[in-house]
Amino acid sequence: MGSKQIVVAVAGNPNVGKSALFNALTGGRQHVGNWPGKTVERAEGVFHYQGWEIRLVDLPGTYSLAAQSPEEVIARDYILSGEPDVVIDIVDATSLERNLNLTLQILELTDRVVVALNLMDELRRQGWEIDVEVLEEALGVPVVPTVATEGEGLPELVAAVVEVATGKRRTHPATVDYGLTVKGYIESLEADLARLGMDGRNRWVALKLLEDDPQIVEAFQQGNLAALGLAAPSASPEALQALLRRAVRLREGIRPDAKVEIIRRRFEFAHDVVRRVARRLRPVEDSLTERIDRIVTHKVWSWPIMLTALALIFWITIKGGEIGGAWLEAGLSWLIRLARTWLTSIQAPWWVTGALVDGLLMGTGTVIAAMLPPMVILFVAFDLLEDLGLLPRIAFNLDRPMQSLGSQGKQCITWGMSFGCNVTGVMASRIIENKKARLVSILTGPLIICSGSYGAGAALAIALFSNRAFPVMLSLFFLSLGAASLVTLILNRTIFRREPSGFVLEMHPYRKPQFGQVIWRALVDRVAHTMWRAVEFAAPATLLIWVLGNVPPGAPFEQTAIGWLVRTLAPLGRPWGLSGEMLAALLFALPAKEIIVPALAMTYGLQASLAESEQVLNYLPQAWTPLTAYTFLVFFMLYLPCLVTVWAAWKETRSLKWTLMGLVVPLVMACLITLFVYQGGRLLGF
Amino acid sequence: METLFTWLWPAVSVLLAISLLRALWRRPQVTARPQPSQLVEMEDTLKEVYKLQRGEAAVQAEALAQAMGISVEMAEHLMEALVAFAWAEGDPSAGIRLTRRGQERAQELIRVHRLWERYLVEREGMPLEAVHIEAHRREHETTPDEAAKLDAELGHPAWCPHGYAIPDPGRRVPPPAGDPLTAYTPGARLRILDVDDEPPALLAQLVAMGLKPGAEVEVIERRPGHLRVQINGNIFPLAMAAAERIHAVPVPVLPVPLGELPVGSRARVVEVKGGGKHQRRMLDMGLVPGAEVTVVRKAPLGDPVEYRIKGTAIAMRRSDANSILVEEVRNG
Repeated sequence: MGSKQIVVAVAGNPNVGKSALFNALTGGRQHVGNWPGKTVERAEGVFHYQGWEIRLVDLPGTYSLAAQSPEEVIARDYILSGEPDVVIDIVDATSLERNLNLTLQILELTDRVVVALNLMDELRRQGWEIDVEVLEEALGVPVVPTVATEGEGLPELVAAVVEVATGKRRTHPATVDYGLTVKGYIESLEADLARLGMDGRNRWVALKLLEDDPQIVEAFQQGNLAALGLAAPSASPEALQALLRRAVRLREGIRPDAKVEIIRRRFEFAHDVVRRVARRLRPVEDSLTERIDRIVTHKVWSWPIMLTALALIFWITIKGGEIGGAWLEAGLSWLIRLARTWLTSIQAPWWVTGALVDGLLMGTGTVIAAMLPPMVILFVAFDLLEDLGLLPRIAFNLDRPMQSLGSQGKQCITWGMSFGCNVTGVMASRIIENKKARLVSILTGPLIICSGSYGAGAALAIALFSNRAFPVMLSLFFLSLGAASLVTLILNRTIFRREPSGFVLEMHPYRKPQFGQVIWRALVDRVAHTMWRAVEFAAPATLLIWVLGNVPPGAPFEQTAIGWLVRTLAPLGRPWGLSGEMLAALLFALPAKEIIVPALAMTYGLQASLAESEQVLNYLPQAWTPLTAYTFLVFFMLYLPCLVTVWAAWKETRSLKWTLMGLVVPLVMACLITLFVYQGGRLLGF
Repeated sequence: METLFTWLWPAVSVLLAISLLRALWRRPQVTARPQPSQLVEMEDTLKEVYKLQRGEAAVQAEALAQAMGISVEMAEHLMEALVAFAWAEGDPSAGIRLTRRGQERAQELIRVHRLWERYLVEREGMPLEAVHIEAHRREHETTPDEAAKLDAELGHPAWCPHGYAIPDPGRRVPPPAGDPLTAYTPGARLRILDVDDEPPALLAQLVAMGLKPGAEVEVIERRPGHLRVQINGNIFPLAMAAAERIHAVPVPVLPVPLGELPVGSRARVVEVKGGGKHQRRMLDMGLVPGAEVTVVRKAPLGDPVEYRIKGTAIAMRRSDANSILVEEVRNG
């Protein structure tokens, strides 16, 4: 089988149903990783067809192949590498003209292309008709109409791919008419390139030289064409640079601007093609998207709608967290009883039972019970909103207020996710294309209080402030939002001052989400993956915490390792009014913020395991003054992201520097704000 | 008799001394440039008087007051000041006339104002309706040398963005010319330069319809005996006899920044300014010269704005959209 393999790259604009097609073809069996050295996701899947093994490689969604973003570089380099036998270009039939811009660029790179004319159902609903045969003739490559979500047209698509791969079907890719001047210049440069001994793709290279393509220009400057997969045996660096100078002179001769002229001509070509193939069957009417948008982005109604949606998601997260958490806790206590009975029956020594049951099982189980339900709900909710097409609308509505922080609307979405769970917030940052805005969002997300720290904080606030707990929590909420805004503003005014902050948002039509697929993807790709990480962090940490609390065995609390830790840490927190017990508990809560209450119980010597504890909630109001309590809550809400969030930040940035920044920023903010609150409170006489 | 002379000579010398002193006293007031704070006000009055002064007739305080939207007392006060600066002569209560110096200064001001307007639209991409204020601010601070440089840099333009002629240095500002409305074919977009003020009843009626100098009007249709014109979105029939008395010039179509278009308008891309990744991105989204754009809606807080281009909806910030210059496309 191995010899009969076809490698197929899947290219297309964002939001044209690329992943739906990918999933429909591979049946969801796919391997998700990153492109080498990049933070861009790469999905691969395999399926079989008539004895062929077809390997699909999902290219990032791009509007162009201009090498202006990491996504475009990846897509272009992969097609250039010659690895794919065929490129499937998925095209949104409802905005054919814009999509053809990419198609025509792909056709300039390779002639082994099959166009999947997707979203045919939407096209029909909008009352349009496309003459596929004429389109095929105009583009010179097979065109297959598809509805990827329904599986319509997929067999024909695969058949066409195999025919093109085996050479059974010859293609004659369309060439764009770039006008006499540009065409003449291209031919002249092509001849120069041929004289340097280059063959293959000369026309494309000539075009890119005229377009002032950064990647190509750099390759010529450095005399290193091999980096592009191009061979020029007889070309010396001087010859290449001379050619580049000539290209620059020719480029200057194209008025008003060569790049603009080339893109304009390409769109003109696309426009002509569309005029020939598309026909309107019914008069224009307001689409459903238009009618919904009129309300969702309304001057007045948008606000209550967004607030309600946000409140609903949080309500579901918190409620679902409670219910799911309770089930998981019940399961956990049953598991613990089972383990204890079994360990007793085999007469295991106390320290084995303690370490395994009270340490590992209890701790890890508590972390899972606390983190899993909100994470499942948020990941599913986020993916559903994304599939539905609501995210760009939220970014659209909220961009203006974020502009004043030097940021953009999409950051609001990641903050919204962070309120549920910082991990989802950090991972949601990938929807932001702008590198600077994405980093800012990753760095500030952890300053937002998540449902975990909110839940644990609320329990503490109720115990400590009784009927004043609500205003206390509200103040913490606004404090965290203020801290995140402040850091955003500072970062954008300092480190990222010079970075461009362009913002172009596609408001694609609303689509019915693929519920089954979304839930499956969220559970398998994200939740399972993330939870496994959480367990990896929680297991050793909770075991260590148990050991610290029980070494040396049988000793009074002051002589255990925790007692020692508390005494050692005590002087560190003095300026902030934080005791050693608090600092130790904060350290213990790093695997998951939810365990702060049992962690406090341990550091105050009330119990020796991370079991849920009512005792400590009764004890603390006597130990802490209101000011101490408030200071502690402020610090707890801000101090550090949980370990899973740190891992997510690493995964999203692939940079030690930014991951560390993600730790330093909240810690500094927490220290500053807490100092201000504590010393201010003391001055005011609390 | 002798006693008379003994009194006469001292009296004459005292009078001479007084008048000499008065002359000396007033002299610096005549030659000195007005104070900066006054300057703007004075120069604005000067321009207004210049525009009002047609032919040889003196400008009355009432006319100035109406043109500037101020009280007659205030207008008289300003006219007195103009006379004091030697920009005008005559008695405010009977009407004043500009002196040569005043005329020259007024011409210079109008010229600089229109040059700046042109500059702001062309080079800084300011919206048309905003340039007047900024040009107004700059005109008072511009020296003749700077004006000459500005003129050269813009390539000695002949028209300001509003469609008025830019005079050569030292030349009279040409009075608004233009052809009567009856001379234009349907579909023409025109700016009214002049409405005959006789008979007054007709003028009042035309002004009430919005047909006053500076207004934009579109000729919709020619019917026997009358024209149908559109102004401020309303369509009126206009008798040929009345249309004959309204003089207008075609509105020059200048590219405007996309971000300034109101919701619902359609436009054709003329130029995508700037460079680098952002320009490239917009080009790849289909915002190429010649492409048609529709302004769909504004975000709840006014920014960003959603545009429809080649069948897709794209949201852009106004500041980004402003780097795209467009020509508005009229319906139909």
